[in-house]
Amino acid sequence: MSFSLDIYRYDQETDELPHRDRVEVDIPTNMTVLDALEWAKAEKDGSISFRRSCRSAICGSCSMNINGVTGLACKTPVDTVLKSDNSVSVDPMPNFQPMKDLVVHMDPFWDKYSRLKPYLQPADEDSAHATERRVSPEDMHKLVAVANCVMCATCYALCPVVSVDPSFAGPAAIAYAYRFIEDVRDSKRKERAAQISDDYLWLCAHCYACSYCPKHVDPQDDIIAVKRATIEEGLTDAAGPRHALVVAKTIKQTGMLHETEVIQGTVGRFNIRGLIKVAPFGIRLAIAGKIPPLFLKPVPKVDEIKTIFDALEAPVLA
Amino acid sequence: MIKHDIVVVGGGLAGMRAAVEAAERGADVAIVSKMHPVRSHSGAAQGGINAALGNVEEDSPENHAFDCVKGSDYLGDQDAIEVMAEDAPRQIIWLEHRGCIFSRLPDGRIAQRPFGGAGSPRTCYSADVTGLVILHSLWEQLERFQVKVYEEFFATALCVEDGVGAGIVAYNMRSGEIELVSAKATIFATGGAGRVYAKTTNGYASTGDGMAICYRAGVPLMDMEFVQFHPTSLKENGVLLSEAARGEGAYLLNSEGERFMFKYAPNKGELASRDVVSRAEWTEILEGRGVDGCVFLDLRHLGREKILERLPQIRELALDATGKDAIDSIIPILPGMHYTMGGIATDKDGATSVPGVYAAGECACVSVHGANRLGGNSLLETIVFGQRSAAHAANYIKSVGNVRPAEKTLAAEKDRIAGILSRNGTGERHPQVRKAINKAMSDYAFIFRKDDELRQGLAELHQVREVAQTMTTMDKSKTFNTDLVGLLETEFLMDISVPMMQGALNRTESRGAQSRTDFPERNDVEWMKHTLMHYRGPNADPEADYSRKVTVTKFEPTVRTY
Repeated sequence: MSFSLDIYRYDQETDELPHRDRVEVDIPTNMTVLDALEWAKAEKDGSISFRRSCRSAICGSCSMNINGVTGLACKTPVDTVLKSDNSVSVDPMPNFQPMKDLVVHMDPFWDKYSRLKPYLQPADEDSAHATERRVSPEDMHKLVAVANCVMCATCYALCPVVSVDPSFAGPAAIAYAYRFIEDVRDSKRKERAAQISDDYLWLCAHCYACSYCPKHVDPQDDIIAVKRATIEEGLTDAAGPRHALVVAKTIKQTGMLHETEVIQGTVGRFNIRGLIKVAPFGIRLAIAGKIPPLFLKPVPKVDEIKTIFDALEAPVLA
Repeated sequence: MIKHDIVVVGGGLAGMRAAVEAAERGADVAIVSKMHPVRSHSGAAQGGINAALGNVEEDSPENHAFDCVKGSDYLGDQDAIEVMAEDAPRQIIWLEHRGCIFSRLPDGRIAQRPFGGAGSPRTCYSADVTGLVILHSLWEQLERFQVKVYEEFFATALCVEDGVGAGIVAYNMRSGEIELVSAKATIFATGGAGRVYAKTTNGYASTGDGMAICYRAGVPLMDMEFVQFHPTSLKENGVLLSEAARGEGAYLLNSEGERFMFKYAPNKGELASRDVVSRAEWTEILEGRGVDGCVFLDLRHLGREKILERLPQIRELALDATGKDAIDSIIPILPGMHYTMGGIATDKDGATSVPGVYAAGECACVSVHGANRLGGNSLLETIVFGQRSAAHAANYIKSVGNVRPAEKTLAAEKDRIAGILSRNGTGERHPQVRKAINKAMSDYAFIFRKDDELRQGLAELHQVREVAQTMTTMDKSKTFNTDLVGLLETEFLMDISVPMMQGALNRTESRGAQSRTDFPERNDVEWMKHTLMHYRGPNADPEADYSRKVTVTKFEPTVRTY
């Protein structure tokens, strides 16, 4: 099949601004975007730069934007992304600084992992054991999905929170924190939960962009599990966990979101400075006639909602 | 100048295991790798890692050793094999205690599955992503010990000063600078050379860098003619479908729907060793019982649940490449280049003929795999010999003073690479040269070999070698110049393809993966010896040397059947 690759071109050393090249590609059908790039580099322009190695979606090297959506080039068949003008556009991943063409500076991404102290920290010495630690298949199974993560950074590139606040750990690192938090062999659950909280765990807005994971790791579920673990470890003295708990509390009590209480609960009832800070917002709401009621009457059959909460064993503010 | 006591070239399993061992011993160690460690091709290993834990059936290191010796078609050095089999359980426990996510038995111990050529279920695994989980566990240990990694540094030459290893020269891919990495001990762990063939399960990075670098510096390559063709690679792209599929009970079928393996291996069937299975498949195809040059892997009877639990990755790889779902379809497969049994000649401690230079993992030839490697032994080799080479190196560096900085090698490499970048216009581009190497190897040094074809192959490689002198790059930039790196890799492939072809031509017998139609029998009288190939310059063929005899301890060579 023949089509054109519309390629982002940039060299950090020589170029002030990027430009684009269109390269005509002629490859057999059923080939991937990576095959197309390889062909273009071998046959047309050797200077086209991208990372790649395994071509079987296990090394995580070839993540890039394909028609504006981040994914692995080796796992994307050309015919599934061909645009109506018979082209495919490739760009470097967003949320990273471009280095050359499709190659980006990955260091900020790796730093997010380093901050986790990403190695098992068992309670006992890890040397000189005669046998393996016993771990039930069920406990090990909790780690299976995240063990498939190839660190391709697709989720990190897709994450809107990373794009507005680069200090946010990002989905991949939170999933890796989960990998240790849920590992029964590890002894630092609380420390890990605290560390990831410090790395702005609670900024996650649960937009589920990271569910677009080429390896089905689906970090969004791990993020929820890590948030839950931080609450279980008693790390509730911050706006994020307070917000989650008070939302749950008002829904459990009244069947509705009790906004006045949520604001107080999130900021902290005795956090005078914080409350003063949100006061202008409250005043503006009042002027606009949108102030929520101070007291809420529970919906009929609120007991059923309580039953749901109990069944889910959801943590709720006492 | 960068300076460390020990520098490890390569960040896959062998390299990281070596670096962690050196770090645990308090040595000043760094890794130089052409990619980030977690990108290494070790991560593509699927099926598992062998150790006689005996968790499923009674087992012993001696049984493991015997299976390796037999699998190697008696070319493996038995002292080295014993070391590997003895050390295996200890290394698995070591990995487990460092967090490796192994699949488990109901009682919580590590699960083990059957694999080709093995007498009992000995292969520890994590579904079908075993390489990836071990890769991550070792990378975690690098983080723990804060091992310095020179990432995206491409090694180009080994430095030898006063007869001892003195580090390497490397091309910093991000800056375009050529740098001296000075070290008292250098451990090569650069992986295999799958890219000498057209169709391979190996990634783009498997270009035999360390083999070629050591070879050029005077370290002999050993047993390079022994190339493993994996029985189940996808026709479309050569991607691997793990032996774990057959370990879990998958069938191989020909065009008549027959499970043909029992004709070739009456006892083991699909779980014969890989050389046997690949030859059987190719025979079926040559005799007209293939379909479009393929036979079929059939997982259907395993059932959805088992496939999704134990083989999810290979199901998805097959689905992506062929559009066929292994749960309800048979998958066309054929043998594909998978592993180089040969490599940098070392002893059981990873030491080479040059003091201070070590090799471990696929780039090395200890030899534990002999003429044919068993599935599940490659990961094991990386861990065992990565650890051993670093242990030896950590002692070695105590006995040497400062090494002389290899300024001459640095200057020579700078000149050489500047020369390549300044070549213009007329020369062939390296992708075309690489294709010519691939074609010669695939046409003349595939599963079945014979004299006239190997001679033809060698003649074609000689022609390609002429052309390779003038290869050009289109990219002249200093930032992330993968065109230049590709050219240098093609030079490496060029250098190691000749000893592969030459070794196959010289060895007038059939043993393991070397199958000569003109010499169909194994010849223990003349060939219980290793092939050593010594470098004699960029335009010369190597000097073959057969002085290294196979070490036999317990297991006398006998007829090998499965």
